[in-house]
Amino acid sequence: MDARTSENGALGRVGFGLPERWTYETPLAEIDEALATSGEVRPPFAAFFAALRNVSPEELSRRFDRARRIIRENGVTYNVYGDPRGMDRPWQLDPLPLVVDGAEWAALERGLVQRARLLDAVLADLYGPRRTLASGLLPAELVLSHPGYLRPLCGFRPAEGVHLHSYGVDIARGTDRRFYVVDDRTQAPSGAGYALENRIVIARMLAQPFRDCRVERLAPFFQALRDGLAGLSPRRDNPRVVLLTPGPYNETYCEHAYLARYLGYTLVEGGDLTVRDRVVYLKTLGGLERIDVILRRLDDGYCDPLCLRPDSLLGVPGLVHAVRAGSVVVANALGSGVLETPALPAFLPRLCRELLGEELKLPSIRTFYCGEPESLAYVIEHLSDLVIHSAWPGPASGEAVFGGELGQSERAELVAKIRHRPGAWVARERPALSTVPVYDGHSLKPRHFGLRAFLARRGDEYVVMPGGLTRFASSRDSLVVSMQRGGGSKDTWVLSSGEPSSVTLLHPPGLPIAIVRSGADLPSRVADNLFWIGRHVERADGTCRLIRSLLLRAAEEEGERSPEIGALVRALGADFEQASGIPSRPGAPLDVGLASVLFSDERHSPKHEIALGYRAASRVRDRISMDTWRVLSHLHLEVERAARRKAFDTSDALELSFSLLLGFSAFSGLVMENMTHGPGWRFADMGRRIERAAFMVRLIRSTLLEVASSGSLDAVLDVADSTITYRSRYFGTLAPEPVLDLLITDETNPRSIAYQLVALKEHVGQLPRARSTPLLSAESKTIVEALSVVRLADLERIARADAHGHRGELAALLGHLERALPTFAEQITLSYLAHVQPSVLVEGVA
Amino acid sequence: MRYRVRHVTTYEYGESVSICHNEARLSPLATPTQRPLARRITIEPAPTVLVEDRDYFGNTVHFFSLEEVHSRLTVIADAEIELSPKRPPDFSRSPPWERVRDRVRRDRDPEALRAFEFSLEAPGARRLPELVEYAAQSLVPGRPLLEAVHELTRRIHADFRYLPGSTHVGTALEEIVATRQGVCQDFAHLALAALRAFGIPALYVSGYVYNQRVGDEGRAQVPDASHAWFSVWCPDHGYVDFDPTNGSVPEDEHVTLARGRDYSDVSPLRGVLLGGGRQLVRVAVDVQRL
Repeated sequence: MDARTSENGALGRVGFGLPERWTYETPLAEIDEALATSGEVRPPFAAFFAALRNVSPEELSRRFDRARRIIRENGVTYNVYGDPRGMDRPWQLDPLPLVVDGAEWAALERGLVQRARLLDAVLADLYGPRRTLASGLLPAELVLSHPGYLRPLCGFRPAEGVHLHSYGVDIARGTDRRFYVVDDRTQAPSGAGYALENRIVIARMLAQPFRDCRVERLAPFFQALRDGLAGLSPRRDNPRVVLLTPGPYNETYCEHAYLARYLGYTLVEGGDLTVRDRVVYLKTLGGLERIDVILRRLDDGYCDPLCLRPDSLLGVPGLVHAVRAGSVVVANALGSGVLETPALPAFLPRLCRELLGEELKLPSIRTFYCGEPESLAYVIEHLSDLVIHSAWPGPASGEAVFGGELGQSERAELVAKIRHRPGAWVARERPALSTVPVYDGHSLKPRHFGLRAFLARRGDEYVVMPGGLTRFASSRDSLVVSMQRGGGSKDTWVLSSGEPSSVTLLHPPGLPIAIVRSGADLPSRVADNLFWIGRHVERADGTCRLIRSLLLRAAEEEGERSPEIGALVRALGADFEQASGIPSRPGAPLDVGLASVLFSDERHSPKHEIALGYRAASRVRDRISMDTWRVLSHLHLEVERAARRKAFDTSDALELSFSLLLGFSAFSGLVMENMTHGPGWRFADMGRRIERAAFMVRLIRSTLLEVASSGSLDAVLDVADSTITYRSRYFGTLAPEPVLDLLITDETNPRSIAYQLVALKEHVGQLPRARSTPLLSAESKTIVEALSVVRLADLERIARADAHGHRGELAALLGHLERALPTFAEQITLSYLAHVQPSVLVEGVA
Repeated sequence: MRYRVRHVTTYEYGESVSICHNEARLSPLATPTQRPLARRITIEPAPTVLVEDRDYFGNTVHFFSLEEVHSRLTVIADAEIELSPKRPPDFSRSPPWERVRDRVRRDRDPEALRAFEFSLEAPGARRLPELVEYAAQSLVPGRPLLEAVHELTRRIHADFRYLPGSTHVGTALEEIVATRQGVCQDFAHLALAALRAFGIPALYVSGYVYNQRVGDEGRAQVPDASHAWFSVWCPDHGYVDFDPTNGSVPEDEHVTLARGRDYSDVSPLRGVLLGGGRQLVRVAVDVQRL
């Protein structure tokens, strides 16, 4: 019950409902969610802190560290453009939730539902009779100049007449303690998945307080979203719903992957879908599969390069025609982005009265559309109290301008711009935001915050997520609530008056789950990426193995280079013979060249291959286990870090190659042991097998084709990781015949060529289409033939050399394989992955 | 006056195309002075889907898809059109341009609302300060709208050089203004950007123009091609055409295909395809007077 002054003059309070040893600095002048101006903890937070009484700050820190680890390991990220950490920035989460009283929430909920109904009605009008324009309820310029007003959708009535299926509302709490709306997200609101992720982490971390506080559950909201979307399907039974993402470079891609997994939808990119006869299909390994509903996270202008923005190929060509034909439902309806303008709130009170016959319940931030003469006059007079926005989103719109921060000339310049085309400008009052306590590891600090609420349409009703995504500013003074600007997020607890529902989508209770094993519905793009992950990692592995052997041998050699080393360098491939400068500069130290090969930017260098593998993996994050992802990102980081180091000697290079090889083994082990052996795995493994076989062929060709260089039998065995097997079979006696047997024809040696071919033959036999036809596919024929050539090879003859020391039969065998392997890869691509190519826009010359 | 138009577009692809989706705006519009008598679209190879529809601006659009592997695509649009000669109104008696601007800004009857849309800046015809200055010389206060526009049309014809091949679909208006040369699309965009900067409603027109024939074979002086011009909305007169490329007022030699805010709204043929590699596009237009 004591109050004391903290270092910055703000009052810190202990007691009044805060548990023992918790302090919260908050300036009394501001309005806070947890503390009333009297200094007393407000009721909802009092309930929370009471539930927290057994958790000391230290205990909370410990649990929070663990929670953060979970977030990192789950790979929850928020991509920030221009951030050097780029795609891997972890999601920032505060351990303390925003706690909202149940009754207060219920009132907010009514306002949100009304607003959703209203916005849906406005959309139906703008894409229908346009009475709002004819009557002046909405300014025509605001709508007709909006890049999100999609004319190809005008006159089209979507399923059930609903445009708005999923709606996000940014809410702030003013210093008068009223909730008001700051922004409306009407086309593809993001954040619901992050809210869910926050909930899962915090509810686990604060399990007891979470139960004690009787927090409303989020699952019923997602259930409503899912039911609502299923209900839209033109085909009633077993509708197929997909989540359309712009791809891994989008800042909220991670959320798309997470949400897709949670809702049980396939995550697709535009290229995964194709339109045939005005029906949308997913390209899968098993063929084309009809899609009924698309939940999109792609901005609507980008959804169809044919009918909408031609400059983007992220979308699905022909989608608009499929939508108009009624064969597929897109949620939110294409064109719903037209309501994303900061000007909208200025017109909502009248629209609400006219369209719904009701008074608008939930106020918005005060907004002035300069296209209206009275507003224009007001804005120019009160510029310093206002924030100026472009009326339309888009690259030209620029950032919001705080009128109060402008100098004389900037101000005049802005006024001139506004006067020139008033209809392009909107002014809003500066938000007065309430604060919320944020835990910085020591004590609680006040931060301004905003809450994004979510609504989903189910049948005729809108369902509000009880909670939402709370985001707070990065510093005490900042009013900017943005993940892009380094703020953080919180779980949002709505205290239940009754017993919270116990629905969960993770394990639907009592629902029988159909057992699925085929995996034939795997999108071809995913298979393609898995195929290439396998290929890239295996290529890096082969090169690393060679370099390690070379480095070990080079260290033992002085002066003259043995033919053995020359042969191994040849096996590196033509790219590196040049890159490393090894043959052209006989005097140059071999090890320096080799070290640079490891992380050169050349094609086929380990660094390059790892980067490509990593990139391919990032495109299929939702299909890769957390551990596999970690191994790949570790490999990527390690080699990137090494490449940046200035001094790099032989021992560094050796250490790096050992470490990378360990990483490759971990990757292989995870792929073998942790991936379900479905089609996805088969493609990843085929990629590896093809490259491993190709590597062996190259190694044997460069070391064993000419007898003159047979001093390298030992080295070959070493590179091929087969020394131990050889010794256990033949003791120390090195001879070409047994070496060739072990490396080529021995089907029990996991490094032999035959072993790879057997595995490939098994894989193609198990692929979806191969199983549906009795005939051998082209790729099967290629691999069966290659395997027979290897199996029928006469070891004695392939080991035999002619008078010049040349092994002609071996050359023929290797030649056959050198043709067969790329052919096989191409055939697989053609049969299963060919449609993974980008679209091209063509314009007839006028 | 009757015309027969044949517009042939051929795509040849370096690599085979597995699927393509296209939109064609190749069917002449029906207007008070233009009556399409016959029209036919022929596509080779035969499309899997061919749907005729009307777009937002009232143009006829054909959506078609080829869903089988092909390496060549031919689209032939045939049409027969009857034009009744337009009698251009007395330009000097049209209302002052400010009155037209104010009417579309203020009134929300269907005609004014539709015209208002064409007074707004469009992506293909952005407002440029140089253009505003250029147009201001014709748009002096109180001047009758059509008189001002007619003068602007003739000035563009006089000041800019028509140079086929000097620009392409993506050439920025800035470049046209700087180099003072371009093709018909550019001049139409130029006029539209200038007029709309003053709030005057005007739309982009794509179509064909008949070239006078010479000699016994009846060959055109210049090869026939698609053409573009613009049309200004004037209360009581509706949309009045102006051709800045020829510095003329179209009467009975301009066949209208489609109308929109800019080229991108009415591009005659546009497609998205999978595969294709290098491609060769050939367009041949033939306009015969019957």
